[in-house]
Amino acid sequence: MTRRTILAALVAALAVGPLAGAADAQGPGRLIVQSQTEPPGLDVTATPATATSGIVFYNVQESLVKVDRHGKLVPSLAERWHTADNRNYTFFLKKGVRFHSGREMKAADVKYVFERALNPETKHPYAKDYEAIGDIIVKDDYTVTFALKSVNANFLQNVARAGASIYPREAVETMKSHPVGTGPFRFEEWVRGDRVVLVKNGDYHVKGLPKLERVTFRFVTDPNAVLAALKAGDVDASLFGLGPEHVQDLAKDVRFQVITGDTTNDVILAMNNSRKPYTDVRVRRAMTYGINKADVLKGAMFGMGKILGTNVDPLNPYYVDMSKAMPYDPDRAKKLLAEAGYPNGFDTVLKVSPQYDYTVRSGQIVADNLKKIGVNVKIEQIEWGQWIARVFREADYDLTIIGHAEAWDIKNYANAKYYYRYDSPKFQALFAKSEVTVDDKARREVYVDMQKLLVEDGPVVWLFMHPRLAVAKKGLQGLWKDLPASANDLSEVSWAAAK
Amino acid sequence: MRRYVARRVGALAATLLFVSLLVFLVIRILPGDPAALIMGTEGSREATERLREAMGLNRPLPVQYVEWLAGALRGDLGRSIQYDVPVGELIVTRLPVTLPLALLAAAFMVVVAIPLGIYAATHHRRSGDYLAMIVSQLGISIPQFWSGLLLILFFSVTLGWVRAGGFDGWSAGVWPALRSLLLPAVALGFFQAAVLVRATRSAVLDVLREDYVRTARAKGLRERLVVVKHAFRNALIPIVTVAGLQLGQLMAGAIVLESVFALPGLGRLALGAISARDLPVVQGVALFVASSIVVINFAVDLAYGALDPRIRYE
Repeated sequence: MTRRTILAALVAALAVGPLAGAADAQGPGRLIVQSQTEPPGLDVTATPATATSGIVFYNVQESLVKVDRHGKLVPSLAERWHTADNRNYTFFLKKGVRFHSGREMKAADVKYVFERALNPETKHPYAKDYEAIGDIIVKDDYTVTFALKSVNANFLQNVARAGASIYPREAVETMKSHPVGTGPFRFEEWVRGDRVVLVKNGDYHVKGLPKLERVTFRFVTDPNAVLAALKAGDVDASLFGLGPEHVQDLAKDVRFQVITGDTTNDVILAMNNSRKPYTDVRVRRAMTYGINKADVLKGAMFGMGKILGTNVDPLNPYYVDMSKAMPYDPDRAKKLLAEAGYPNGFDTVLKVSPQYDYTVRSGQIVADNLKKIGVNVKIEQIEWGQWIARVFREADYDLTIIGHAEAWDIKNYANAKYYYRYDSPKFQALFAKSEVTVDDKARREVYVDMQKLLVEDGPVVWLFMHPRLAVAKKGLQGLWKDLPASANDLSEVSWAAAK
Repeated sequence: MRRYVARRVGALAATLLFVSLLVFLVIRILPGDPAALIMGTEGSREATERLREAMGLNRPLPVQYVEWLAGALRGDLGRSIQYDVPVGELIVTRLPVTLPLALLAAAFMVVVAIPLGIYAATHHRRSGDYLAMIVSQLGISIPQFWSGLLLILFFSVTLGWVRAGGFDGWSAGVWPALRSLLLPAVALGFFQAAVLVRATRSAVLDVLREDYVRTARAKGLRERLVVVKHAFRNALIPIVTVAGLQLGQLMAGAIVLESVFALPGLGRLALGAISARDLPVVQGVALFVASSIVVINFAVDLAYGALDPRIRYE
C-alpha cells in the first residue's frame, strides 16, 4: 500500500459522516453536560468537593430541607418542620419517598445519617456543623425530632447542606463509587476519567419530575477543549469552568444561550494578618484603598460579576451592599502606609494557583494597582496541591487570591486559626452571638454589625463575586440562573419542543 | 543470548525498583497530600487530620514504601484514592485508549517520516529536500496541544467529520472508537514524525556517501534498488534508535493530547492523579510506563542484531 492509498483511505473514512457514539448519544430527553473537574469520589459525606456535590446533590441525593433557586429554605424530604423553642426541631417526613433501591425512606434513616455524621470515625467533612445535635428521637416512621444542646441559628441551613443528604444505611460502603438516594435521577455508571451517567428515577416523589431521561456529566478540563466540544455539538451545556473570555465569544453565537447570575463565590485578596506588615490595620486598609476593584472586575472578568465590600454574598438574606464603603483612593492609601511607617511602600509576594485562571488575572491587575502606592508585588504561581498545603493549611504566604464558594462562610473570620490568621475577639463575640440569635430581625442586625466591623478591620480585600457563567444550547430550559447552593439541580431542566 | 536476556531482565528489575523509589519519594516531597486535597478549602483541620490518619499517611515513609512494594510484587498496586478501584484495574481500563493511540501515532510517524526522510536524502539540496525540512521544522516547533486544537477546529468544528473529543469505548464499535483516536494520533504522530524525518534523512545521507553505494551504482544497479537495498538497510540502525526513543516519548505526548481531546487514557490518568495526589495511581502508572519503555528499549536492542548480523549478544 502506498502512502497515497493510505491517505485516500483515511480521507474516505473520515468522510463517512458525523459520528454518534452509541454510549450516550444526544437526543430529546438526553443531556450531556461538561464538568470541569472529575470528583474525588461520589460520596458527599466524605468530601466537600463541589465537583462531587455538583453531580450528586439534588440530582441523586437530597436532604430534609432544600435551598431553592432563589436561596430560600423550602421543604424537600421533610414536608414541614416545627420548633417551639429553637432547641427541639421536629421534621415531618414526606410519605412514600423511595430510595433508588426501592425501599421506603423512614425516620430511622434520618437518625442513622446524622448519627453517622457525628461519629468521628466516619471522617465527615462537616461534622462540626452538626455538633449542636444532642439527641435524635424517632417518634414514628415519619416523624423525627432533633434535640439541640444549644441554640444554633444555622441549624436549618446545615440540614439543607450536601453533607446532610439522606441515603440508605445499606449503601454506605459503596457510596464512594455508587451513590444511592431519593433524587430525581438514579446513578447509572461512572466511567472513570470520562463521564458519570444518571438516568431518570421513574418513581421520584415529586410528580412530573424529572423531565430528562438521561444526563451525562462529561469531564473536560481544558477550556479550549470545552469550547470546541460545545461548538462541535458534542456537549449540550457547560455549567462551570468556562471563563468570561470564552463566554463572550459564545454569546455572539446564535446557537447558544449564556446564563449569568449570582453565586456565593466571593473572590478575595487574602492577607496574612499574622505577618508583617499586615499585622497593622492601617496597612490592610491601605491595601483596600489602593485597589481599583472596578479595574479588577473589568480586566479579570470582562466586567462580569459584582464588586464586593465585605464577605456576605448578594444571595445571602443578610447581604448589605458595602462595595462603596471604602472606594479606590490611592492618595489615602499612601497616607495610611506612611502613618504605618511605610512611606516608601514595601515588597510582598502574591501566591496564586493557575488552576483558577481568574485568580492569576486578578493578581496582575492588583499588582499593577498596588505599584502606584509603592507596594511591589511579586506574583508567584503555584500548583493547586501546593496552594492547599502551603497557603491554606500552613498560612505560609503574604498575599493570595482565591474564590470562597461556600455559603455562610463569614464564620471563617471568627476562626483565628483560619489561614487569614485574623484574630479579633470583638468579631468572634459578634459571630458567637449571631449563632444563637434566632429572631430574624435581631440576627440581621448582628450580621450588619459583623459586616461593618469587617470593613473597618479589613482582614482581607474583598474583590468581587464570581458570577455564574453557564453556556447551553438554545432550547435548553429550566437551568438555575443564580447558584445559592453548591449543586446543579437538573430536575426541572428540559428541551424546548423543537430541539 | 540466554545470558544476555537474563542480564537484561536483571537490569529491568533494578530500573523498576529505582523508578518506584524515585516516584514514591518525589510525590511525597511535593507539598500537599491527598487528604488535604479531598477536604479542599471547606473541610475542617480536624476532619483532614482524621482522614490523613485513616489513609495511613502518618506512618513512617519506609514502612509505607515496603508495604507498597510487597503488594506490587504480588501484583497488587493498591487502590486508587480518587476512584476507589484497584490501580491495576484502572490501568487496564485506560490501556485500550492509550495503546491504540500510541500505535496509531507510531504508525503515522513511520509511514510519513521514513519515506519523506529517504526522499529528502535522495533529493539532497533540491527543492523537495528543503520543503521536507521546512515541514519537519514546523512539526518540531508547533506544540502538540496547538496542532491538536487546529485539527479539532478544522475537522470537527468546521467540517463536522469527527468528534471534538471524548471516547465511548470499543464496545460502541471499532470504527467510532478509531475515529475518536484519529485526530489525536495525527497530532501526536506529526511531532514525532518531524524528528524522525531528520534522523532518517541524515542517516541515509551518510550511507549514500559510502564506497559500497558508489560501487553499487558503478555496477549499474537501478537507483531505486541502491537506495532501498543498500543505503536504507544500512541506515536503519540510527533510524531504529531514534524511533525507539520516540516511542518512549509518545507517552509524554499522550498526557497533553489526552487532555486536549478529553480521552480517558493513561496520560490523563497520570495527570489527574498527580494533581489529586492519588499516590497509588501515580506510582502504579509510573511503574507501568517505565516497564514499557524498558521493554521497548530491549526490543530495539534485539532489532540491532537482526538489522546488522555483525552485532552479537553475549
